[in-house]
Amino acid sequence: MSIDGLERARTDETDGTDAADGTDETADSTAAKRPGDAANDDASDLGGEGLVLGYPDAEEPVVDGESIAAAPGAVTALVGPNGSGKSTLLKALANQLAPEDGSVLLDGRDVHSMDTKALARKLGLLSQESTSPNGITVEDLVYHGRYPHRGFFERTTTEDARAVDRAIDLAGCGHLRDREVGSLSGGQKQLAWIAMVLAQDTDVLLLDEPTTFLDLHHQMEVMEIIETLRDESEVTVVVVLHDIEQAARLADRMVALADGEIRARGPPEEIVTEDLLADVFRVDADVVSTDRGPRVTPIRARHAD
Amino acid sequence: MSGEGSTVGGESTAGEGTSRRRPIDRGSVGWLFDAKLIAVAVGSLAVIVAAGLVQVSFGAYSMTVGQAWRAVLDPAVLFDPRWLLNFLVGEDLMRTITGFGGELPRLTRETLIVWNIRLPRVVVGTLVGANLAVSGAIFQAVTRNELASPFILGVSSGAGLTILLTLVVFGSLSAFLPLFAALGGSLAFLIVYAIAWKNGTSPVRLVLAGVIVGTVFSSLQTALFFFADDIGVVQSAIAWTTGSLTGTDWEQVRLALPWTLVAVALSIAGSRQLNLLLLGEGTAKALGMSIEKVRFALSGVAVLAASASIAVAGIVGFVGLIVPHVVRNLVGSDYKRLIVGCLFVGPALMVGADVGARLGMSVITGADAQVPVGIVTGLVGGPYFLFLMRRQQHMGEI
Repeated sequence: MSIDGLERARTDETDGTDAADGTDETADSTAAKRPGDAANDDASDLGGEGLVLGYPDAEEPVVDGESIAAAPGAVTALVGPNGSGKSTLLKALANQLAPEDGSVLLDGRDVHSMDTKALARKLGLLSQESTSPNGITVEDLVYHGRYPHRGFFERTTTEDARAVDRAIDLAGCGHLRDREVGSLSGGQKQLAWIAMVLAQDTDVLLLDEPTTFLDLHHQMEVMEIIETLRDESEVTVVVVLHDIEQAARLADRMVALADGEIRARGPPEEIVTEDLLADVFRVDADVVSTDRGPRVTPIRARHAD
Repeated sequence: MSGEGSTVGGESTAGEGTSRRRPIDRGSVGWLFDAKLIAVAVGSLAVIVAAGLVQVSFGAYSMTVGQAWRAVLDPAVLFDPRWLLNFLVGEDLMRTITGFGGELPRLTRETLIVWNIRLPRVVVGTLVGANLAVSGAIFQAVTRNELASPFILGVSSGAGLTILLTLVVFGSLSAFLPLFAALGGSLAFLIVYAIAWKNGTSPVRLVLAGVIVGTVFSSLQTALFFFADDIGVVQSAIAWTTGSLTGTDWEQVRLALPWTLVAVALSIAGSRQLNLLLLGEGTAKALGMSIEKVRFALSGVAVLAASASIAVAGIVGFVGLIVPHVVRNLVGSDYKRLIVGCLFVGPALMVGADVGARLGMSVITGADAQVPVGIVTGLVGGPYFLFLMRRQQHMGEI
């Protein structure tokens, strides 16, 4: 239901001029649509309270007592340097990592106590560590996204077929539908995986570095998908991004992490500043605000002294 | 895998130009009508029938292929439910079911020999081949390792140890040997799982635990050979630990058939879970799979299938390793088709290899001796594996 109507939204746009239109809208709608808007009443709430997160092998927790709330129906971007704990935080939000302390609440319910399939109907995760098996087509892969909606012996329904068609359209990989996943390029694979998560038809979508390692074209494809989700649907999106400019362009809210601590949170224009880049990313940079969000020009790395 | 020319999906629905998509996993049985899968099934059936005919015509009482064929299709058996039940469920149960108290109608000499002595061996071979292939296919998905076999999680070493213990130490209990072998295999599997478990398992931990348990149990098994005092016991132990169909009877069919049916039904039902496991643990979990439960349940099904085959034929190697490979090369890695393909190719390899095991020695040396079928599957399987390895770039990845 959550991405219902998106198919229309996507196909209404004329294919060729997609990119240009999308960016113009971006600027407008980021300004117009802020978390807390009345329009987002139906959207899902996802947040973590007092999260202490670590891995069994490590002594020190990666994240020590942080709280985070995803903006309902909007896009929240997690940014931070390598090892800052942003992926760990995302894993905890997705119930892939059990918190040592604290809890993750989805619409008021602890995700850890939810039935795994019920959770997967509400919350989707695109992780970095997916392996593409050989010998299955993109369509087969996307159908796997319907897993949480099917019982043990149930066959696929027309509802499944519709969700798959919608997801493939939205992810713009209709032309890859019958290709084998193993034969695709990295960017095409990513689109296929995104289509799979979209077919899951969830209210909340968590994306772990969806644009990393992709060429420019596919980075833009992925960004457009997220923009469509932001502008046309009530899906709550949390996305980890390496590229701070991308994050500022996409997100309604940003959360900056360093050393497992949340250093700043707020709308992009408040987050992407020269001071914050110096503090969080340890770089000197020029930040110029433009129509398409802030432009960041890194100048030099700051060294500890 | 991807080397096989199946890049474009349309291929498998040859002649279905109108339908936009492949009917994989969608219709209720549509996925069965896949050109490649049907070709695999037909080819395998041809091998089974040919090898089976050789098996039933040669032996101490020699008959022509025509005679053997007529004996197999003898209407006196095929159209007489009493005879069929007599073979399939045993005489006592047949009498209970049919309420028939008299003497069964007489059969010709050929029919008696074929149905009583030679055919059950082919049937047992079929069941064993199917079980091992399905079991191997499941373990390859569970451990996410193409080199996994039904015996990767300690099943063979556990079974081997109990076989030796029964034969050497508890000789008086050898009537229960099939049961003990199956139980020993399952027990070893549970030990492996317990060792690998630490807040859950992972494919790598499972395989490592399997190696550990396998090493210890195989050492104990080898040690027990020293206590065997006569050559008969040793030969019997070797036959059991390499796998043999010598002397199998309808009794073995009755023993293995119910478990085979259960294991096959469960593995087809679980094929969607197997497919999802191939996407990686993280993805499977994110899609809502209770991964530990599913992994244990599927392993249990695979152990059940392996145990059923161990109980009737001992530890036959290579079938469970090779067959899923062959089938994956032919029909792709969708597990629904893979399992169905295994149900045909497994028996074909097993029944075919058993021809070599039963008649090979007498053809080569003229001696009237049989070798354990496990030796033949190893001799056939090894080189085929080499061939696969040379041809495929990404051996080991699933």
